[in-house]
Amino acid sequence: MAKKINLEMTSVENREMRLGTIIAWDGAASDLVKESDYEGRKEKKKGNDIPREKQGGCCGNGSKACRLCELKTPLNQQTMCANAIVECQIGNLTDCILIQHSPIGCAADNAWFNLAFKMGLTRRHKPVQNLKIFCTNLLEKDMVFGASDKLRQAIRDAKERFAPKAIFISMACATAIIGEDIDSIADEMEPEVGVPVIPLHCEGFRSKHWSTGFDISQHGVAQKIVKRNPKKQKDLINIVALWGTDYFTDILKPLGLRVNYMIDCANYDELAQASEAVATSTFCHTLGSYMATVLEQHFGVPQIDAPQPYGFAGTDAWLRAIAKIVGKEKETEEYIKSEHERVMPKILELREKFKGVKGFVMTGSAYAHGLISVLRELGIEVDGSVVFHHDPVYDGAAENQNSLKHLVDNYGDIPHYTVSKTQAYQLPQVFRRVKTDFVIIRHQGLAPEAAKLGIPALAMGDEHIPVGYDGMIRTGEILLDILARKRFNQVLQRHVELPYTKWWQSQDDPFILSKEPEILDKALSEKLKKKGA
Amino acid sequence: MAETKTKSGTIVHPHYGCTVGAAYTVAAIKGGVPIANCGPGCMYKQFFLISFDNGFQGSAGAGGGNIPSANVGENDIVFGGTKKLDDLIRSSLAVLKGDLYVVLTGCSGELIGDDVESVVRKYREQGFPIVCAETGGFKGTNLTGHEIVVESIINQYVGDYDGEKEQGLVNLWFDVPYFHQNWRGDYLEIVRILRASGLKVNVLFGPQSGGAKEWKNIPKAQFNLVISPWVGLKTAKLLERKYGQPYLHIPEIPIGEEATTAFIRQVVEFAGISKRKSEAFIKEESELYYYFLEHFAEFFSEYWFGLPSQFAVIGDSAYTLAYTKFLASQIGMIPVKQIITDNPPPRYREKIAEYLHNLAEDVSVEPEFIEDGYLVEESLSNTDFGSGVPLILGTTWESDVAREKKGLLIEVGPPTTEEVAINKTYIGYRGAFTLLERIYSAAVGGK
Repeated sequence: MAKKINLEMTSVENREMRLGTIIAWDGAASDLVKESDYEGRKEKKKGNDIPREKQGGCCGNGSKACRLCELKTPLNQQTMCANAIVECQIGNLTDCILIQHSPIGCAADNAWFNLAFKMGLTRRHKPVQNLKIFCTNLLEKDMVFGASDKLRQAIRDAKERFAPKAIFISMACATAIIGEDIDSIADEMEPEVGVPVIPLHCEGFRSKHWSTGFDISQHGVAQKIVKRNPKKQKDLINIVALWGTDYFTDILKPLGLRVNYMIDCANYDELAQASEAVATSTFCHTLGSYMATVLEQHFGVPQIDAPQPYGFAGTDAWLRAIAKIVGKEKETEEYIKSEHERVMPKILELREKFKGVKGFVMTGSAYAHGLISVLRELGIEVDGSVVFHHDPVYDGAAENQNSLKHLVDNYGDIPHYTVSKTQAYQLPQVFRRVKTDFVIIRHQGLAPEAAKLGIPALAMGDEHIPVGYDGMIRTGEILLDILARKRFNQVLQRHVELPYTKWWQSQDDPFILSKEPEILDKALSEKLKKKGA
Repeated sequence: MAETKTKSGTIVHPHYGCTVGAAYTVAAIKGGVPIANCGPGCMYKQFFLISFDNGFQGSAGAGGGNIPSANVGENDIVFGGTKKLDDLIRSSLAVLKGDLYVVLTGCSGELIGDDVESVVRKYREQGFPIVCAETGGFKGTNLTGHEIVVESIINQYVGDYDGEKEQGLVNLWFDVPYFHQNWRGDYLEIVRILRASGLKVNVLFGPQSGGAKEWKNIPKAQFNLVISPWVGLKTAKLLERKYGQPYLHIPEIPIGEEATTAFIRQVVEFAGISKRKSEAFIKEESELYYYFLEHFAEFFSEYWFGLPSQFAVIGDSAYTLAYTKFLASQIGMIPVKQIITDNPPPRYREKIAEYLHNLAEDVSVEPEFIEDGYLVEESLSNTDFGSGVPLILGTTWESDVAREKKGLLIEVGPPTTEEVAINKTYIGYRGAFTLLERIYSAAVGGK
């Protein structure tokens, strides 16, 4: 019996438990494909037991669960957390309210997601407005005496001020440690305010990777908002997305489909109708797999069993999988053929321009797989990549969703494939090992250090840019602009130093501290000696 | 907007970060390395309000994505996080260049009660320049955090001193780095003015600072200069007790010739140094100032198509006061709504209000102290700006109201996402014109 996601529970099992997610690994992508044992994990997800000796990619012996090997680093730097992800998902709904039950610091990134929200609304042709997230602004006395009354009042304020269609409550480290019972308060307040009140257990310390926050957000939406008695809309497809430009409509119109984007920039009704769609897909399995699987398991909406829609191979396969569901196989074949013919001249032109150019990708995991396909379609060499985590399997565990394997099989290996959670200090080693002319990044904190190493960055803020056939052209054209920026980066490199010690910069292995932690003692005693002298 | 009857202490649209945001106070010290004993996400969150989405300031050295962080996880909450912190400190000392390392403990570490001090002490006793600060986010704003961090550095790093004082040397306690988006440019202008007036200045933050070693000179100063309505007073009082240093408190950050000249005379008088240098400097700067002002006057008097007159300022105590004073008393604009959002301690509020009551001979405005952005916007929305174009000096959060009122919004405080601040100042002799350029370029249709 396949293990179903439990919608009765308000909390979500962490990714590391559910999927075996890791945050530190270094090697060739092909080795990570092997170690991940997607096939074996897929079978297990389906409820089929695999004997221990037949399971691949186990780290060490004796442990009952089969876990991927993972490096442990003593030095970590600023990262996101699940609580921030919930802000960027639930806090970016147009007619629902998120209440952060936390001290004010947890709301300090509201301004960032506000910027993303406003960009997203513009791209989706919706009226631009500032987001409206509440923070209970907890103080020292609340830590001592509890803060439930503040939360109750915040729920009432939210109702009175904005008349939202639903109210979400997010947990923070502080409120989880002092044991705030947001489940009970949600139950208690729901009848009073007359709209769903949805607790989200996304305290930052809960999961070692922020992407668990996507699952928590989607879980809350599926639990309380998605319609239980759907009336099928045969031309509607769910695309689990962030704030990207609406390119999916252009891609899917020829198949007679309308796009229902979720969660960012959506309203309550758009989320509710997710169960009425004919299928669910996404631009990134890291983001969309949980929602797609919940909709499949609990609402009978199938998820698209295909690679992600990047490059020719991925986009072809993705369109064919959708065509099968909507019964438009024949038309789709013609569409694919004409699209290839349409974009090919421009792609050939771009390939000419990118001869000898090397690229590097530093983004979330599944998205990186898509981006690297696009770069290689453009003839750009990609010898290395840093992804912020790795899921050896996705919730859907579908036949054709093994995105890393799809990349390696179709476009070749990536010799230096690094899993590392936004660790800027590793970049001197990473870029000594792998030469590149540019990096594509998402998530803050890395591009500025790459910049000082002379490498210009494409901050891929509109995540839909590389999607589909036109995505290859869009990406190529933007990259030409980015390559020109190299002049700026060279100036920077000539005059600005990295904030890291000479000792550290002289190391060759970005993970040397994991492998030989004892070198730290030597480095420190030398530092003291130098200081003394 | 709907009438609101409740005020639960919740905040929509925050105008400040939390205590641990003072990591940016450390990052502003040359050679300063913040080490965040925090959950994952804490530094990321503070980064946005205080640095990135605050004029896209960027950072140098160990700010931004370079800040080491414990990223406290479930195991650390259950079993204690000191081992992880120890590893983090050891590796940070080896990997990050620095002259002063400051461990900031956030909510998680404080609530589970880890003994951070004993971990830090071990390294300090070995000879590393390292201190720790208790900055659990529930302790208040990043301004509170700023004062906690400064105090921790003074007590644990600068230490005791009973040597000589240096006549004419002043410790400068002024803008809160990063929080005040023009802090780099502001420090340049104030330091330029003080030095040209014959003072020696211990600059503790920013590009002109000697960094950690300049902090070691703090006890040698003749006196402390606090330029802010309230932030920094706690520090000055600590230094008075600790090193017997008097302090001069000037609540109004000077903008324009008259205020800046008065500021110089007050400081020079307090320092008791010769007035020869300062008066020569005042003369030179005043001539320049009025040369430019005369040019500006032509535009200001002859522009046919209307200019904004009634204005609001939404900001922290320091800049609400400074901008309001300059625009009201020097340009003759009419202040109609001044909202102070930085939660100044109650004992300073009356004094702050008093300054705003006496802006000029016949100009007075009653400030409101509001932290909840929803109530700020509601109050702004209900403001009558007369018949002209409303001018709002505020933040990104006021953009919806500005649009509704067809006003001119100039973002001057956190969060600011429609301005890029590099080397900019709106204060002193030189900055006053940059402020006028910014306001009137927008008024004549520039973006």
